[in-house]
Amino acid sequence: MQGLIDRTFRLLEVLLVGLLVCMVVMVFGNVVLRYGFNSGITVSEELSRYFFVWLTFIGAVVTFRERAHLGVETLVGIFPRAGQLISMILSDLIILLCCVVFFWGTWKQYPINATMTAPVTGLPLSYVFGIGFFTAGGIGLITLARILRALTGRITEDEIRLFAGHGTSEIREHAE
Amino acid sequence: IKDRNIRVSNGVNADHPVGDGVKAMTQCVTDKSGGKIKLTAFWGGALGGDLQATQALRSGTQEMVITSTSPLVGIAPALGVFDLPFLFANEKEADAVLDGEFGKHVSDMLPNYGLVNLAYWENGFRNLTNSKVPVEKWEDLNGMKVRVMQNNIFLDTFKNMGANATPMAFGEVFAALETKAIDAQENPFVTIDTSKFYEVQNYLSVTRHAYTPFMVLFSKPIWDTYSPEEQTILSECAVVGRDAQRKASRELSEKSLAKLKEAGMKVNELSPDEQNRMREKAQVVYEKHAGSIGADVVKRIQDALAEVRKN
Amino acid sequence: MTIVVFLASLLGSMAIGTPVAFALIFCGIVLMTYMGIFNTQIVAQNMIMGADTFTLLAIPFFLLAGELMNTGGLSKRIIDFAVSCVGHIRGGLGIVAVIAAVIMASLSGSAAADTAALAAVLIPMMRDAGYNVPRAAGLMASGGIIAPVIPPSIAFIIFGVAANVSIIQLFMGGIVPGLMMAIALLITWNILVRREKVAVLPRQPAAARLRATARAGWALVMPLIVLGGIRFGVFTPTEAAVVAAVYALFVGMVIYRELKPRDLYGVLLRAAKTTSVVLFLVASALVSAWLITSANIPAEIGELIQPLIDRPKLLLFVIMLLVLVVGTALDLAPTILILSPVLMPIIKQAGIDPVYFGILFVMNTCIGLITPPVGIVLNVVSGVSRVPLGQVIGGVAPFLLAQVAVLFLLVMFPELVLVPLSWLR
Ligand code: NA
Ligand code: NA
Repeated sequence: MQGLIDRTFRLLEVLLVGLLVCMVVMVFGNVVLRYGFNSGITVSEELSRYFFVWLTFIGAVVTFRERAHLGVETLVGIFPRAGQLISMILSDLIILLCCVVFFWGTWKQYPINATMTAPVTGLPLSYVFGIGFFTAGGIGLITLARILRALTGRITEDEIRLFAGHGTSEIREHAE
Repeated sequence: IKDRNIRVSNGVNADHPVGDGVKAMTQCVTDKSGGKIKLTAFWGGALGGDLQATQALRSGTQEMVITSTSPLVGIAPALGVFDLPFLFANEKEADAVLDGEFGKHVSDMLPNYGLVNLAYWENGFRNLTNSKVPVEKWEDLNGMKVRVMQNNIFLDTFKNMGANATPMAFGEVFAALETKAIDAQENPFVTIDTSKFYEVQNYLSVTRHAYTPFMVLFSKPIWDTYSPEEQTILSECAVVGRDAQRKASRELSEKSLAKLKEAGMKVNELSPDEQNRMREKAQVVYEKHAGSIGADVVKRIQDALAEVRKN
Repeated sequence: MTIVVFLASLLGSMAIGTPVAFALIFCGIVLMTYMGIFNTQIVAQNMIMGADTFTLLAIPFFLLAGELMNTGGLSKRIIDFAVSCVGHIRGGLGIVAVIAAVIMASLSGSAAADTAALAAVLIPMMRDAGYNVPRAAGLMASGGIIAPVIPPSIAFIIFGVAANVSIIQLFMGGIVPGLMMAIALLITWNILVRREKVAVLPRQPAAARLRATARAGWALVMPLIVLGGIRFGVFTPTEAAVVAAVYALFVGMVIYRELKPRDLYGVLLRAAKTTSVVLFLVASALVSAWLITSANIPAEIGELIQPLIDRPKLLLFVIMLLVLVVGTALDLAPTILILSPVLMPIIKQAGIDPVYFGILFVMNTCIGLITPPVGIVLNVVSGVSRVPLGQVIGGVAPFLLAQVAVLFLLVMFPELVLVPLSWLR
């Protein structure tokens, strides 16, 4: 099971890199076309934006798993272990609520976006907005699993330390 | 009549003629509802862009938006009809068609998309400014880098004239004109004035190549929860607002033009012959987009125009 | 009252360790429930619509360019170049740090990455030469935070999008204030280093200098491409960013040959992940921003501080103090995203130039990166230089004061920002 999950996330990482490379190629390609050939592809502006949305919201799940999202741990850092565990469960419940609302909202919004097309590519916007299912679902499941582990006492000390801000992620530093 | 707080989203700023329309409409609504219905206006896209606000209306998270029709073509393709180049020749034609049967025909389509159109206001005729030459004939546009809205009909209209049409967010236009990343842009006089484009553009050509109406849109899901009495108040007051808005728009348009001349812009009108040449040249765009707009809609408006022009 | 609900839900959830992005969504959910307009679609719609902006694409590209530069050896050559120029004068390595920080600032937009690159090369050299290491580390940290003030700048892009202000103008307006920060650091450094007994590096022969300049030349050209390209309308900021990334890739792979194809995947992945962390935060902030606006909170605050609105300079002074305080606990991007929707309507109402405000605001949030207790750049420099955090804080203090002084100088004399900006316009 764990092996399958790890492999899935490695695949998602490949996807992220692919999206970023495509964005570079499309936007840079347009600059070259404009100066080299006095023309441009209007599709690439729109499509690169959509790739960007996918990159953001797929990456949000991958980085969530690594606890790379920015947060303030000054206070929880000085809590005793029990306090840290309780804070972690509470904060995970908040995250879960956010995911439920995000997922549900994407669901209710689906017909509205499915009947609306992008101005240039003509792509239905549900392709773009539908990514909310993946992000809310993915983060929600990770959080749910973590809450269950915490409640059944199977959470590792490393996870609690990471939650309390000991050992920050490299990505997190780059984000500033 | 219940206590209602209606949030009105506007992409433009409060000093735009839409401000006058909203003021008149608010006054009217307050009077007729005995102060129970309240309009709160948000300006400058504070609640999101026009498209985003319209989507919010469709999902029932927001009550009202006053938006030009162009950004909504992806929602209701028929609205593309108002983007067709050189459609209306003057304000009189526009008023007659929009307030008449054709306008109603288009409004009647919108509930399908979760929207209710209360009235047509106006953004006015769009004209071209540039930093290079006075545009007197369409050949002058050849190779010119023109910023257009991200909208296929506008893109094609300018490409068809030989221009290098570049879609760009409105917020970056001033800086892009200033740095000469683009040579030209097109907007109504009032926008050219309030956005200070005259500081970075030398020539203003009165092309009147498009007339964009504003629509006063209400969220259908929310509309359905209102009583008929409330609905009537809103519909009637949107029309009161319309008259104030159009009046202000036309007065301000004159004032803006005078101000642009005073600021040193070289203004030129197109000769009637050239106007016709351009209109003919633009027919390709009509043919190309009739399919996506709906051939019957295009035909209907041309019939309506013919009717107006006969009188 | 709405303000209290907003602050309590946001700060409360952040205090128990909820990541800022989720704290923002949560406070949005609480706000809409409080206002009686609970609707899940508000969250879904604002999140995705918010990220769907072409201008924001500059962020992944500038991040990628920065990653490529560090991996491709550009940063190292910039430092070599600065050493060859001023390494031999007294306290020279500190001057090297500031010069290199400015050059790197004009290449990349992120403070932590620049600080790490600077500290990794210079701290060992300064330790060997007998400098006070915590002070040197403090200088690196305060030099690193110039990165988001001098363009390109991810902070300016985020602010420009959040506040609807021209990014080109923010970029152009940031140059002079960024240089002023550097000058303030140099002055402070010179005063402090006078009392230190340090070794100076030998003066390099002209040939060696020329060689270092030529090798760094490829890197030194990049700001010209990016800034010149934007200034003279060759590129939009987004295009300039992608050109910078491709250029850094070319130089790192073809010219310096330090970037190997097998490194490329890691670099791309880091840039992609960093992008999603930043952008997910931006998207979440747009949910709360929509509700803040919808609830008319700025108007509520505007009424509270009405007397200040008629005195813009005092208002600005108070706001800058507030941002400094917020900055002690919150890092750059969250501060910009949380405060912009609240402050911008007030700024406009008071008639303060939004570009000028944006530059001061971003500079202030950059200072927040080196104020304890939460300052990511402090953590970075402490990690890289292996100096305990407490000592880094002591070392950074004088430089921090100098930069706060620059900030308030700009509050007192807006001309310092506005006049150069008008030349560049
Ligand atoms: Na920078
Ligand atoms: Na801080």
